[in-house]
Amino acid sequence: MRTLVLSLLVCPLAALAQAPVLEISGANFRPMPIGVPAPQALNDAARTVSPEFDEAFFFDCSAAGIFQVLDRKSYLADAREGFTASTITFSRWADVGAEALVKVQLSVDGRDVRGEMRLFTVSSGKEDLRMVHVEPLDRPRRLAHFFADALYKHFTREPGPFLSHMAFVRKVGANKDVYLGDWDGKRAQPVAQGSINLLPVVGPQGDSVAYTSFRSGHPALYLQRPGGTPVTLVNTGAMVTGASFSPDGRRLAFSMSQGEGAQIYVADANGANPQPLTDTPYFINSSPTWSPDGKRIAFVSTRGGTPQLYVLTVANPTEVRRLTFQGNYNQTPDWSPRGDLIAFTARDERNAFDLFTVNVETGKVNRLTQDQGNNEEPSFAPNGRLLVFSSDRTGSSMLWVMTADGQNQKMLPMDKGNFSTPDWGP
Amino acid sequence: MTGAAVQAPVSLLARRPEGPLGTFLFWSAVVHAVLLSLAVVYAKMHETPPLDLDQKPIRATLVRQGTPREEKLLPRIDTPPPPPVEQKAPAPVPAPEPPRTAAPSPVAPPAPPRTKQAGEKKADPRQKLLGAFEKLGKPKSEVIGAADGDPGGDSAVAEGEAYYARLRSQITRFYDVSDTIPDAERIRLTAQVALLISSSGQLDRARLAKSSGNELFDTAVLGAVKRAAPFSPPPPHLRDALQKYGVVLMFRP
Repeated sequence: MRTLVLSLLVCPLAALAQAPVLEISGANFRPMPIGVPAPQALNDAARTVSPEFDEAFFFDCSAAGIFQVLDRKSYLADAREGFTASTITFSRWADVGAEALVKVQLSVDGRDVRGEMRLFTVSSGKEDLRMVHVEPLDRPRRLAHFFADALYKHFTREPGPFLSHMAFVRKVGANKDVYLGDWDGKRAQPVAQGSINLLPVVGPQGDSVAYTSFRSGHPALYLQRPGGTPVTLVNTGAMVTGASFSPDGRRLAFSMSQGEGAQIYVADANGANPQPLTDTPYFINSSPTWSPDGKRIAFVSTRGGTPQLYVLTVANPTEVRRLTFQGNYNQTPDWSPRGDLIAFTARDERNAFDLFTVNVETGKVNRLTQDQGNNEEPSFAPNGRLLVFSSDRTGSSMLWVMTADGQNQKMLPMDKGNFSTPDWGP
Repeated sequence: MTGAAVQAPVSLLARRPEGPLGTFLFWSAVVHAVLLSLAVVYAKMHETPPLDLDQKPIRATLVRQGTPREEKLLPRIDTPPPPPVEQKAPAPVPAPEPPRTAAPSPVAPPAPPRTKQAGEKKADPRQKLLGAFEKLGKPKSEVIGAADGDPGGDSAVAEGEAYYARLRSQITRFYDVSDTIPDAERIRLTAQVALLISSSGQLDRARLAKSSGNELFDTAVLGAVKRAAPFSPPPPHLRDALQKYGVVLMFRP
């Protein structure tokens, strides 16, 4: 009885004490404003490598798609500000809108450059990440990519794409040369020069490139490291294009012309034991790209009258599904490593080439570029969050990067030239 | 004295016999009265409603005239992505309270444990609060809308609903969350912020009642509440409750 009386007394009081609850949703997700001041060089030798590091690190952060790197001109903090939480005036960073602050110190010791990176939350002044890394003195850009990757992973818990590699073609006179460089096109080394070399694809280890070359008079497929000798993968006399390594690196898909048409083949990674996957003698099947699980291949086929994207199952190649029904000239597909999207180039009704993605399951097509010159040959980053592509919007054909939904388009910091067919690999 | 009699001067204020001037004045007054009446009636008929600055704007999309886009054509972007120019930082603003932004933690000291139970799903807590508030023993003359005693339909509740809707709308405008939070984590994020609002609408206190487990998200929701303040003054019947017990905001992405 006493309990009952107590309950009757206490329950209304507890109810009185309750505050109403309002549910709020619909957050506006936006890139995080981050301050990235120039690195602090601790000795004279470090000052010589600092600009190169800074250029790479700043561009990585800007292109990542998850940060809004604040304009350095707006910074209010003292340029000689310290490197530790107790010596940083966070209110000055808050005043320019920064939510995070990343600081780097560089020092050169003998033949190495040592970098220390610290990440702070501006609102709390808390140090969230501290990292030290050493690279050879001639590789400050790699040190920058290492730190950018660490930063990316800290926030997204996904691997960053900045230590990966990119292959591309540079047109020089009548020749087309194949290069392999860092993801941003810097530190590029020639792989194949002095002939017509086409459609490069980064090898499974990221240290070699497979490409089609006319060096022997007729087109053949080669694999080559920068400075190495070419290894022939497929040389049948027929036109072989569109090499694509399976995600596990054990198989190679390519397109080989036969009579008036071209068929998709799958072979061992060294080109041995080629097996046809398509059999449509009067139609062209080309540009194969693997699904991340290696079970399916998307490709371009003219079997429907116009070039469209199709998907086949490798274990049962007769199981073919048409993927695109919009547009009449869809080509150069690249399957996202995340598995959900395939990026491709399409010519629209205005005869402009632009980039699109198609959802593999729903078939929904999204446009990524529009009214900015011709944009072609998309290639996903290994983490599937970014895309590199070629664009002539500035006059000459340059390489650009953007997020997978078409935002934050930035030109890669390469010297001026005529670049095409980038492939972003491991 | 000669024949012509000299007339005595007539005062201007002297009463004159009724004549055309009097008639004119009479009708003039009548016409003026009629015109004024008409003006008043016209104004009444064309009266515009009072401007409500807190009213949610109605968004309308103007559709271009033309034929619908063929399904076989590739899609076009309605709002193309921004041009690839350098992203400008927001203009530096003077810092009225610099030390506050660098403070170790924006989290206020813990509140009485009773507010922690507020997140539990129960019958409409607002109605409970209002019903409870009306029974607090205040003089009956001060209770607005309590005469009917119907928590579901009286004007006081309606006013409260409108206030909370405005509060939600005001905070949502500042509800910016960093894109760096992974997709997989976003699904699970829930944070609760308890706040006390003064009778003038000032934010008396905001504290994280329940963390989401993600520091970025927690900071973002607290920041949204602080940036959204001050709020519009609460209606009279909510003032004491919002000042004493406050309101809990449950944030989901």
